[in-house]
Amino acid sequence: MTSSAAVEVKGLRVHRGGRLVLRDVSCTIPQGSVTGLLGPSGCGKTTLMRAVVGVQIVSGGSVSVLGAPAGSPGLRNRIGYATQNPSVYGDLTVAENLRYFCAVLRAPRSDVARVVDEVGLGGHEGQLVSSLSGGELSRTSLAVALLGTPELLVLDEPTVGLDPLLRDELWTLFRTLASRGVTLLVSSHVMDEAARCERLLLMRDGALLADDTPSALLAQTGTGDLEQAFLSLVRESEAA
Amino acid sequence: MGSVKAELLRLWKWPATWVLIGVWLVMTLTFGYVFNYLALNGGTNTRDLSQQQLISAMQPENVGAAVVRGLPMFGGAIILVLAALAVGSGYGWGTWKTTLTAGPRRVSAMAGTLGALGIIVVVLVALTFVVDLGAAVVVATVEGWDWSLPGFDAVEALGASLLIAAMWTGFGVFLGVVTKGPALSVGLGLMWAIVTENLLRGVGSLLGPVESLTKVLPGGSAGNLAGAVGGSGAPGVLNDLSGTTAALFLVGYVVVFVGAATLLKVRRDLV
Repeated sequence: MTSSAAVEVKGLRVHRGGRLVLRDVSCTIPQGSVTGLLGPSGCGKTTLMRAVVGVQIVSGGSVSVLGAPAGSPGLRNRIGYATQNPSVYGDLTVAENLRYFCAVLRAPRSDVARVVDEVGLGGHEGQLVSSLSGGELSRTSLAVALLGTPELLVLDEPTVGLDPLLRDELWTLFRTLASRGVTLLVSSHVMDEAARCERLLLMRDGALLADDTPSALLAQTGTGDLEQAFLSLVRESEAA
Repeated sequence: MGSVKAELLRLWKWPATWVLIGVWLVMTLTFGYVFNYLALNGGTNTRDLSQQQLISAMQPENVGAAVVRGLPMFGGAIILVLAALAVGSGYGWGTWKTTLTAGPRRVSAMAGTLGALGIIVVVLVALTFVVDLGAAVVVATVEGWDWSLPGFDAVEALGASLLIAAMWTGFGVFLGVVTKGPALSVGLGLMWAIVTENLLRGVGSLLGPVESLTKVLPGGSAGNLAGAVGGSGAPGVLNDLSGTTAALFLVGYVVVFVGAATLLKVRRDLV
């Protein structure tokens, strides 16, 4: 693994439900960057993230995270992971959930106020999670991932259901975290979020179509926007 | 310790915990004291219990027996539901994913849940003892009986209560992990605790081997231990095995349920 790579994936193959869902995926995620993982629903984004986090049984290849094999016990408190479906207790309040995960992750209790502020949930601390809106629910889940001092944040579609203003605030937060040296892997199936990333991993049908910067992808495909660039890469791969 | 603290924090704040504890205390007071008191004061005693038996069941010195006799069936079912919900809800809400990804090792996470449930069960048994003792003292005072506080036999009954409660807790945890959810685990557990073993006892009157088996099943072992330490007159309490044999079976069930649940949790993928 190169010294500046937070994650290095080599020849990763994953079967789920008897189907090959990741086909020889190889990529590198630089430290202190915001890397977007983009592609249509069902293309394997979540499976790749699970492999990075270390909760996915893999059929072949390797995944190194922060210098150790993915899933190593030593990585547990160095990674923050927000799943696609919010993973918080609906019958507890926002603050109770965060205090619970503070204890689980052995993060300082003062983190509760910090992460509530970072994800814009101020005023909702005492609200039952089951009564939150979809956007507030996913922000609560994101807040859990921000507890402690994770060096790598793996966020599965964290901006789904958020209004444009809030989405912009979260992307600003992601860039701030990256400037502090945190590495972020953020998935989305919305191509207009691609431009907000420093680096892009474009996926389709379990394979990686591209691993480059947005500007390099535009230059490589000769297109004016990233959605067109993605379509161009898809057509190119189908023709090959 | 972090995992135990976290789970205790969650279960403490969890409405289901208090609902189940409340239901259990109301049941134990109603069946242990209210109905007996009403029967003693003019009720129709269809079970032909003598006045002396009713008075004895409500005496403060017999509170240990009053606690243990409720646990083989109904109390056990409530504890099983609490344990199954505590573990199963983590799958239902998806929170095990976060805990097992970024939290402590899986064994530690499981130990945290078991430790917190263990503390709650100890508190529940102690609370039942205190509430029952309070009710017994009130009844004895109102009726003007001579009464004394429970003696050493209450310690034996409380120890048996804890072992029975530990077995049902382990059973609930096991079902929660196996079924990976709260609904099925609670349904299966209740069916086993309240229906299946009773049906098997019915079949046992026709088939000898089945009768022998029912004595050592989880509910049967719990009932036999309750019977051996003085619990009587409640559904599920039996007198077919010695206290030592029943206790050994219960210890075995605790080890098997907790061990199997932990092994499954450690080995199984999170899919």
